[in-house]
Amino acid sequence: MMINLRDKGAKVWDGWNRPTRTVFTLVVIAIVALLPFAATWGPTSFLNTPITSFENVLVYPVGMFVLMALGLNIVVGKSGLLDLGYVAFFAIGAYTMGILSTLYGWNTWEAMPFGILFAMLAGVLLGLPALRLRGDYLAIITLGFGEIIRIVALNLTVTGGTNGIPGIPNPPSIFGIKFDLMNPAHYFWIVVIMILLVIWMIRRFTVRRPGRAWEAIRQDEDVASLMGVNTLVYKLWSFVIGAAIGGAAGVLFASKVMVIAPQMFNFNVSVLILACVVFGGIGNIWGVAAGAVILAYLPERIRFISDARQLIFGLVLILMMNLRPDGLLPRKKREKIKEKGAQ
Amino acid sequence: MNFSVLTSEFWALALQGTALGLIYSLIALGYTMVYGVLRLINFANSEIFMVGTFSTMLIEIVVFKRAIDLPALSGGKLIFVLLLTLMGSMLVCALLAMLVELVAYRRLRARGTNRLASLISAIGTSIFLSESVRLLSGSRSHSAPRVLDKWSFGEVAGANFRIDTMMTIVAAIVIFIVLEIFVTKSHLGKAIRAVSMSEENSKLMGINLNRVITMTFAIGGLTTGAAAFFYTTTYENTVFNVGFNLGIAAFTSAVLGGIGNLRGAFYGGLSLGLLEQFASAILGSQWKSVTVFLVLVLVLLIKPSGIFGEAVQQTRT
Amino acid sequence: MNKKFTRGLALAASAALVFGAVATTQANAASEVTIAVQGPFTGDYAQLGVDQYPGAQFAVAKYNATKPKVKIKLIKADSQCDGTVAANVAPGIAANAAVVGVIGTSCSGEARNSIPSYKAAGLAMVSPSATAVDLTDPLSKNNGSPVFHRVVVNDATQGPALAKYATLGLKKPKVFLIDDKSPYGAGLIVAVKDALPAYGTVAGQDSVPVPLSDWTSVVSKVKASGAAVVIYGGYDADAAKFVKALRDNGYKGIFAGGDGVDTSAFPGLAGSAAEGVRMTAPDVPFDTLVSKAVLKDFQKITGVKVPGLYVTSAYDSANIYIDCIKKGNTTRSTILDCVNDGLWKGIGGGAISFDQDGDVIGGAAVGGYLVKKGKIIYDKKL
Repeated sequence: MMINLRDKGAKVWDGWNRPTRTVFTLVVIAIVALLPFAATWGPTSFLNTPITSFENVLVYPVGMFVLMALGLNIVVGKSGLLDLGYVAFFAIGAYTMGILSTLYGWNTWEAMPFGILFAMLAGVLLGLPALRLRGDYLAIITLGFGEIIRIVALNLTVTGGTNGIPGIPNPPSIFGIKFDLMNPAHYFWIVVIMILLVIWMIRRFTVRRPGRAWEAIRQDEDVASLMGVNTLVYKLWSFVIGAAIGGAAGVLFASKVMVIAPQMFNFNVSVLILACVVFGGIGNIWGVAAGAVILAYLPERIRFISDARQLIFGLVLILMMNLRPDGLLPRKKREKIKEKGAQ
Repeated sequence: MNFSVLTSEFWALALQGTALGLIYSLIALGYTMVYGVLRLINFANSEIFMVGTFSTMLIEIVVFKRAIDLPALSGGKLIFVLLLTLMGSMLVCALLAMLVELVAYRRLRARGTNRLASLISAIGTSIFLSESVRLLSGSRSHSAPRVLDKWSFGEVAGANFRIDTMMTIVAAIVIFIVLEIFVTKSHLGKAIRAVSMSEENSKLMGINLNRVITMTFAIGGLTTGAAAFFYTTTYENTVFNVGFNLGIAAFTSAVLGGIGNLRGAFYGGLSLGLLEQFASAILGSQWKSVTVFLVLVLVLLIKPSGIFGEAVQQTRT
Repeated sequence: MNKKFTRGLALAASAALVFGAVATTQANAASEVTIAVQGPFTGDYAQLGVDQYPGAQFAVAKYNATKPKVKIKLIKADSQCDGTVAANVAPGIAANAAVVGVIGTSCSGEARNSIPSYKAAGLAMVSPSATAVDLTDPLSKNNGSPVFHRVVVNDATQGPALAKYATLGLKKPKVFLIDDKSPYGAGLIVAVKDALPAYGTVAGQDSVPVPLSDWTSVVSKVKASGAAVVIYGGYDADAAKFVKALRDNGYKGIFAGGDGVDTSAFPGLAGSAAEGVRMTAPDVPFDTLVSKAVLKDFQKITGVKVPGLYVTSAYDSANIYIDCIKKGNTTRSTILDCVNDGLWKGIGGGAISFDQDGDVIGGAAVGGYLVKKGKIIYDKKL
């Protein structure tokens, strides 16, 4: 019963010529861009979320989870490093935005590069020692790091301690498109643009040298190293690029919710994003995106069974992994060679 | 920085840190045993611990009819109740650990899929267990009845030699000695070591792999159940998410000592317990986990395989 | 697991989604307005919302039973005391045109992420239990004026009362202050510390991110400081663990906490260690204020035997809206004006109105409570 939709999709895609592909891509993007209106348009109104605002849910968690899952996928899926503390980079981005905007009056677009930069710096600082270690130690160190960033934010005064940072401004408008509470759809479009950029970037990387190096590292680090791949540098790169995407998501998140507090960046977020990656199909962009959409959206949609929704979420993870351990849309077959031993 | 508490309360902190650290060690065994054999982080172990605390509490309340407003027990009855509760908690945890292995890991292992899938399955199991308990027991914390009166053998240099503290320390050391003997001397223990050295070779030697793995989970469950008993008897309190913080601490202990290594779990837990107490005395409780993390990173930088390495069950080339 | 079973599962799931959709898109009748009760109904802080809700439920049920022209429908908006969740829940409530007022939020943290949406929508909030000072501080970026109101006094009032009650009967004792790093606990301890010089001296201070299992290191600090009084800012579960650890290690001083500790569950959680613990709360227990008949009514309608913490303030909050709707206000803006300008009688008999920042004028005074023989008793007005 293992239907590999991903391979089927790839076959159909390969059969198309360039204009068809372009049209198809544009249509898909257009449909995604129209999603915020789905809740109010008759035939799709069943998508509406009870209690929570559908348009806001599309931004966070759905859109942001897709973005972060794509970022984490570079770390976990492409180069096979287990990161259990991805939320740290999200938090660093959010706090960079919070501090730069409230203390120095910077706007979102000015703070964005710095949010990304600081997340990358943190990635280097953590990655340099951690990536020399084996995979399982990386898991505990990243897990610890995720908790530590939260606790440091809780303890410092510049981050506002337990009350966090209030009064973070919304992004200024671009080309007359306003970003405020009344227009959550506009945030969603920004997130979609960021997602498209990330997808484009990942696809560039994948076919170039870094992509091949990651693939080699994932399959067998020792052999890769023997063949002259500087494994530490490429592992660090994947780690830092993943961090950058988390940071970018954090900056936008902070300027959307306007008030950030340490409790928002707990371990659950890391687990959820990792679950999105594995649930959708490790290593495959489309699978990861689909996984993130489902896992972020489903708990909101099934709020009417509110008390049991986490339980069902856990059950879905177990069932899914047992029935389709490679995820919803597994990566390409040629990439699925048996991974060496336990590595 | 405040060293006055450290100097005036040093022995009190050391004693309490030892007892807490040994509880960590016992839970850490649940991670370390499984990791040694399967190279898998058994994420659900923290929730097995949580179920253990609840079963300890329930056995005391339902089977022995203890209630929060009843006085503590004494004499022969006390020993009887404590022993049976301990065994009950260990049994529940061992059975649950075996069940978790069967439901969450076995299929995946049989297929030889990537380890991340097993990990997500483990995380799913973890969420499932804690949420089931939350739905059954509510999100409030629950108080366990006082079975053991907390009398003290006396105070030496500020350290309060309380009966529950001493019981935890002595029992944990006994459990570790028994386990060490079991792993080195018994037939099953040797099989477990063989499997952790090489799955392929031990299969060739006629070892029933599934049985060995199930037994490994069971042993991890037994020690985790014991930890749950000592925890509940000392702190008389549990809640559906009690496993999270203790699980992280125990897992950190296992890594600190060298994951996959029995002695590593022992010393890892011990050092973590002491470190936490001293760090919160010197720097304030809010910096405790930051300190622990920094020490962990430092240790791993200097000695990447933990303090004790993986010598006992070394497999990696 | 076979194929059929999986397919069945998928089918059941999709059916549930569709039917859920039907249930949620039902339109409200014109002669009915909706009030949302926003607070934690699931998650770690669920007890707070679960305790309060019956207060509002009872008030609304009584009102609807009088066959009024405009009925009120209550909905639960579960934001779990979590700002991230609240940032999605509040816009959802704001976008729901049927909702004319919000009872909530229960926690101060979730209030901060909800206020921007409600401000933009002009939707009134009346909180039964969010006591953080900044929510009504005109200088703070978190201030919720003009939509935010609360029927309880804030921490700036509770803090001095707690300092006074904790040190009662002692002459300028040494006091050890501990908070749980939550917005509530840390805020309360700041207020206590500000007021303390009049009642005692600070012997030491610690902040403990909870949940914490082993409180012994904090106990060692308390003992080393020689403090005669320990004041804890936080919630009942960890207060119980802490006071148990203190007593088990032979500490004999006074233990005191705020309204987060003052729950019906606390004595049961702390067992014999709860004896003599002092607590303050800007809330008077519902069952001490009403007649036996009313209490019986309450039990029948809500199915709750013993009214929990903040039932009184939730009841008062609901009655503010009921009164405004009775006066013929059924739109958001008229109700907001009505809440801002009105004057009501609380169930305790005192007058309730709001100042320009949304803080209560009148309302329940801070009360001192004491645990005696495993029961919380109302000791005195502070």
